[in-house]
Amino acid sequence: MSLPTSPYCTIGPFFPGEFADGCCDLTNFAGKQARGPHIMLTGIVVEEGNRPIRNAIVEIWQPDANGVFRHPLDPRSKEADPGFFGWGRARTDGEGSYVFRTVLPGAYATEDGAKRCPHINLMVLAIGLTRRLVTTVFFGDGPASDPLLDCVADPGRRARLFAIRDQAVNGAEGLPVYRFDIVTRGEAETPFFLD
Amino acid sequence: MKVEYEPYPEKTQLARYIQDYPRSFTRNPKQALIRRPLTLSERTGPVALDRRLAIHAEDMSAKEPGGPRAIGQFIAVTGRVMDEDGVPLAGAVIEIWQANASGKYIHELDRHEAPVDPNFTGLGRFVTGDEGQYKFLSIKPGAYPVMESDWWWRPPHIHFSIFGPSWMNRYVTQIFFPGEPLNETDLLLNAVQDPEARDRLIFETTPTTVGAVNMLTFRRDFVLRGKRRTPALD
Repeated sequence: MSLPTSPYCTIGPFFPGEFADGCCDLTNFAGKQARGPHIMLTGIVVEEGNRPIRNAIVEIWQPDANGVFRHPLDPRSKEADPGFFGWGRARTDGEGSYVFRTVLPGAYATEDGAKRCPHINLMVLAIGLTRRLVTTVFFGDGPASDPLLDCVADPGRRARLFAIRDQAVNGAEGLPVYRFDIVTRGEAETPFFLD
Repeated sequence: MKVEYEPYPEKTQLARYIQDYPRSFTRNPKQALIRRPLTLSERTGPVALDRRLAIHAEDMSAKEPGGPRAIGQFIAVTGRVMDEDGVPLAGAVIEIWQANASGKYIHELDRHEAPVDPNFTGLGRFVTGDEGQYKFLSIKPGAYPVMESDWWWRPPHIHFSIFGPSWMNRYVTQIFFPGEPLNETDLLLNAVQDPEARDRLIFETTPTTVGAVNMLTFRRDFVLRGKRRTPALD
């Protein structure tokens, strides 16, 4: 038996701010502080013509600093950081800007032994998008092979999947700032994956 | 057993580009979406999200339990959340947002000149039970004009955001009410070409109750992506 999937639809213009309040900080869970280096992940979400998208919803899902997911499918889930949940949500402001406070994700090995480079899954919801847009944010200098990165052949496009460490700026409490701008459509378009 | 997540079949979905819906042309990527393998990272997702997000009382029709009820048609909404195999998804967080009876959202971007209802927030967050079931009470939302358009009125609808157990079945939609004249012209509802698929965006009516409990009941089941591999038949 296979039931047809329900149709996706846009969030429209009125996604409630209340649903994003308090969700952009991933560094505390169940009264404990997340282990590993804390970072700020920030950027703008723009559409064609580099126009900022206001009230876009950005959601992320990532492993902890040791590369462990808080999920039963992860064979190492018992070792998951008790102070880290791994999910976050942010809403863009009038300038299209979003910000997360999270931990630098750890690398991990897949079942077949391939290495997943440190990365964060990211999705965008906004008016005008009848379905979510999904991409992956990578950290590091990008020398390594990664099963998702390797799907993006063009070096220029591949580079757009990397968060850029902004050496000039420090975030709250001096945290390192990583910048990941999301161009949903345009010249420097972010690579999005078939969902 | 491994769960498979295939790309959404276009037939079951809204079109990405919709005539007279300008933002669909300025926001959807120009470049082709890239096919990727699914690893642990994509197959996992936020489970037990109720540990992170506050769950609300089942009755959205009043701000506090037992408090004054919002103006409008009192409704009950029920249904089940399951995967493509029909397996119930228990513990899934469902978020609801909707306009009040006069078609007004409590939102800084809502410019429609309709009154806010002091007894209605239009927000709800629930968790599915062991059989994937959910239920909430609310007020039937009103229609409202799309201010950027010179003709488009949105028919009454309720927004659903559902967290399945995987990043691959994170799901967001809008569900419409049956028999609404504005359904015929709504750009979003009619962006689903297949009539059967379109019906999956519309509540089913179920028997109303009169007596000790009075309510108009609407039902909508959701099928989120994900199916187990069927063993080959020899």
